[in-house]
Amino acid sequence: MGKLLSIESSTVDERPRTREGFLDVSGGWPSPVGNRTKLALLICLIVVVLLGPPAHAASPQGESLVVSPAGPYTTIAEALVDAQAGDRIEVHSGTYAGPLTIDKSVALIGVDEAVIDGGGDDSVVTVTAPDVRIEGFVIRNSGDSLDREDAGIVLQKSPRATIVNNRIENTLFGVYAKNAPETELRGNEIIGMDLPLPRRGDGIRFWESPNSLIAENQVRATRDCILWFSDGTTVRDNDIRDGRYGLHLMYDNDIVIAGNTLADNSVGAFLMYSRRVTLRENIFRSNRGPSGYGVGLKDMDRVIGEDNLFVSNRVGMYLDNSPWSIDVYDEFRHNAFAYNDIGASFQPAVKRNIFTENTFLENMQQVSVRGGGQLEGNDFTVEGQGNFWSDYTGYDANGDGLGDLAYQPRSLFESLLDRHSSLRLFLMSPAQQAIDMASKAFPIMRPEPKLTDSAPLMSPVLPAIAATTPPSPVPMLAVSSGVVLLVLLVFGLIRWQPALDKRKDTRFFSSELSDAQPRANVKQIGVGSVAVKNLVSVSEEDECMIEIQGLTKRFGDFTAVDDFDLTVRPGEAVALWGPNGAGKTTIIKCLLGLLNSEGTIIVNGHDLESAGKAVRRSLGYVPQELALYADLTARESVKFYARLKDVPLDRADRVLADVGLAEHASKRVAALSGGMKQRLALGLALLANPPLLILDEPTSNLDARARDDFLDLLVDLKQQGKTMLFTSHRLEEVETLADRVLALEQGRVRVECTPRELATELGLHVTLKVYLPDADVDHALATLEAQGFTAGRNGAGVRVRVTPTEKAAPIQALSRANITVENFEIENGVWN
Amino acid sequence: MELRVITTLLQKEFRDSLRNRWFLLYTIAFGALSLGLSYFSLSGVGLYGFAGFGKTAASLINLVLLIVPLMALTIGAGSLAGEREHSTLSYLLAQPVNRTEVLLGKYLGLALALLASLGLGFGVSGIAIALRGGGTDAGSYVQIISLAYLLALTMLSLGFLISTLTSRTSVAAGIALFVWLGLVFFGDLGLMGTALVMKLEIGKLFTLALINPLQVFKMAAISGIHATLDVLGPAGVYAVRTYGDTLIVIFLAMMTIWIVLPLLASYAIFTTRTEV
Repeated sequence: MGKLLSIESSTVDERPRTREGFLDVSGGWPSPVGNRTKLALLICLIVVVLLGPPAHAASPQGESLVVSPAGPYTTIAEALVDAQAGDRIEVHSGTYAGPLTIDKSVALIGVDEAVIDGGGDDSVVTVTAPDVRIEGFVIRNSGDSLDREDAGIVLQKSPRATIVNNRIENTLFGVYAKNAPETELRGNEIIGMDLPLPRRGDGIRFWESPNSLIAENQVRATRDCILWFSDGTTVRDNDIRDGRYGLHLMYDNDIVIAGNTLADNSVGAFLMYSRRVTLRENIFRSNRGPSGYGVGLKDMDRVIGEDNLFVSNRVGMYLDNSPWSIDVYDEFRHNAFAYNDIGASFQPAVKRNIFTENTFLENMQQVSVRGGGQLEGNDFTVEGQGNFWSDYTGYDANGDGLGDLAYQPRSLFESLLDRHSSLRLFLMSPAQQAIDMASKAFPIMRPEPKLTDSAPLMSPVLPAIAATTPPSPVPMLAVSSGVVLLVLLVFGLIRWQPALDKRKDTRFFSSELSDAQPRANVKQIGVGSVAVKNLVSVSEEDECMIEIQGLTKRFGDFTAVDDFDLTVRPGEAVALWGPNGAGKTTIIKCLLGLLNSEGTIIVNGHDLESAGKAVRRSLGYVPQELALYADLTARESVKFYARLKDVPLDRADRVLADVGLAEHASKRVAALSGGMKQRLALGLALLANPPLLILDEPTSNLDARARDDFLDLLVDLKQQGKTMLFTSHRLEEVETLADRVLALEQGRVRVECTPRELATELGLHVTLKVYLPDADVDHALATLEAQGFTAGRNGAGVRVRVTPTEKAAPIQALSRANITVENFEIENGVWN
Repeated sequence: MELRVITTLLQKEFRDSLRNRWFLLYTIAFGALSLGLSYFSLSGVGLYGFAGFGKTAASLINLVLLIVPLMALTIGAGSLAGEREHSTLSYLLAQPVNRTEVLLGKYLGLALALLASLGLGFGVSGIAIALRGGGTDAGSYVQIISLAYLLALTMLSLGFLISTLTSRTSVAAGIALFVWLGLVFFGDLGLMGTALVMKLEIGKLFTLALINPLQVFKMAAISGIHATLDVLGPAGVYAVRTYGDTLIVIFLAMMTIWIVLPLLASYAIFTTRTEV
């Protein structure tokens, strides 16, 4: 292809070549004084140790002056006055006042925490002479004027300065090199002032200071590190964090940026208007300001980016008009763009960039074209090698490590994001997938691919600097195991039965009337006019088990129960009798608190309105149709309701035995017959041995035999003294069980009487179907009508209307007339 | 109120959930998908260790947004409506219990069932993440689990509100599904369309997004992982700059409101409308 640029041709040796003898054997930048000076220094040190610090010490290339709180010089300024070019000023532990101006080519060496304190005014150290060395100092407390550009160290037209191993803290600017070519800034720690970002100064600012070296520095909490008009400079192995622009280049050519870590800045590095810049083995991590570029390139020509790691930035790399010259290419190879919001973001007009063998790993958006569109004129495949895309869904049939289908990202949602960045709010939401699925389903909505990589790599090619020690799985394992254990604990707690379940019961069906005694403080209301005294089976005649006054229930305009009064004494069995819709069930539901209503309901001394729970504790309820949980067994059902009623669980089996369901305890409720269900309902009603039973049409769903059995059970309970209120429309049931009947019609009490009086009071009648020989039918009709019965022909017999108390009379009349009765049937009683 | 009654109902509701085929299906689906996502999203990057958890977390957030609301809404909606439909509710209320106890017992039982379901899914996935080398951020994982559970409670409350208003499970499930679609898809799509057509200011867009508890969960989870919201573009940056450290308080407050308000409404309806 011929488009690949030679890496070697653009690699700039980090060491400037404008001076001879500049390098020492260690590869670092040597002191201007050389090795012989080191020997002299050693001798001086020995002398100092033996004789104490002299004011001046001879050296082959200059004097050595000592500054310490004990003298001979007590201030650096005094020593500077006496020093000559080439002298060494050794400053011992202590704090020395700034600001200082170094106007001679001296070496200022700090020993054992020598501090130069600017006192918060102006720059702390200003260098105006060439070949000055400042090493080993703590330089702190500059002024904070952005107008004056107060700094820790200012190099003012002072070429070949060496600033090494200093700690510069709480200064507005750190090191400011103005027209200071060939400066060496190495191994310093620069910490900015604790100010809002826009008020801070630059940690490092190089202005027209070409051929310099900025290496191995740590910069924290400053604004920018700026390199302007400083060609031929090397920036390597620095660690720059918590600033605005980790590194900002403008108008610099032949720059090498290598091995740096630029993390947690607003922008990692923004490179502008420069040429021949090499980026190699840098880590750009978590730069997440408003623009949040790992690297931004603006009008940059001949950029080589190799083996860099762009991770967790808002945008890994941003390209704007780079390269800007015709026939010039920028090349990016072997870089990893991982876990950025956007891997690489392009302005739409950007062309002539080459991306090959890069890894685009799980960026939320791998590539973005600002404002939308396609990337044309950029190459993502060179000489058959593309890039690794973690969202590539193709395959490699021939196993050559390259995908057989081109990588072509064409997400509609991403396309929307490129045009409307505010929609990023909806990232990671299912609506995002919905939009992309819709675009796949309707190709007309599908955007053109942003780029085409015709030979995508099937495996990532991560740079060596990306390799780190795998994280310890222990914390995550511990957390996850803890969560699973928590779940198991929940299961365990649910299975755990409280002590309540283990209590033993000795009271079931005991002679006690009730577990729930009337409240002493409730006013007892006298028996109403409807009570039938001779049917009350308890001694305390002035007590009421149920007292209802003025009960009214409306469903919209329909009045289901109208001003209903009722008083039931302990031990009494009262029936509510009436046809469907008379209001019987509504009264029961109001009594249970299942329906709201007007009026007063007091049960066992508890007012329903204020103590509904106590009311329900005083009674057992058997509904018309048992509504139990169908997936529970009979035993489980009893236990569940026993817990609700605070009844020991060992009653469950006794209850089941007492209602004849012991053999069916393990059957699911759904599998029980109607009679069994009704008996189970009765058992549940009796669980807490309440004084009162409320039964709503208790036998309506039972066959004749089951009905008889069930009635027997109820009769037994009545004989034990249970108070009963039940609804029914079966006369025989009422006659068997009730002491008193309230016949209801349209929500009002029509008649109140004894069961035996009911038929008469209500004018009830039954129809008797009498089967006769055909020859006797006419005779029979005549006979019956003669006796006063209302009769009619009915196929093979006659139908006779009689009152419930004289059902045998027609048979007797026919017998007396010598008419043979072959058979007869009684139809149910009907409401007149 | 009696604790015994509440715990009895809680236990029953929890056990019923375990017998509920839909609930089991959701649990299995959530567990399997979260396990699969965790396993595959970390494929091959464990050795490099960098930020591997971020993508997994994003996948899990998406999964939670889809499944957890559906699970919580449907089981919540079916709770009272199902009992009402089968007439078991009236028999239950005829026992010595009050309606507050019934509501609380059922809610807590389902909440516990959801906790177990999510705990299983997240627990197993977390073990997979750890073994695949993505275990760099256990703290964030705990945050996601906690927030997902809060989201489940918000949806459960909404489901309960639906349940108190309906007497048939099919109607309740239909409404729950509609609400789910509204919260998961239509709400966001509508807001997107509104933002584009009306050219909504970023502040208003963010405020409107706060109305949707799913968006609140997502933003809270992201801010927990990244310690910022800038991943969500200008609206996220606006939120961080405007509200700073109080942002997480706002998120938690919104989720709490979404839990409490529907539940209070359910309580008011359930205790004042005595017809069952």
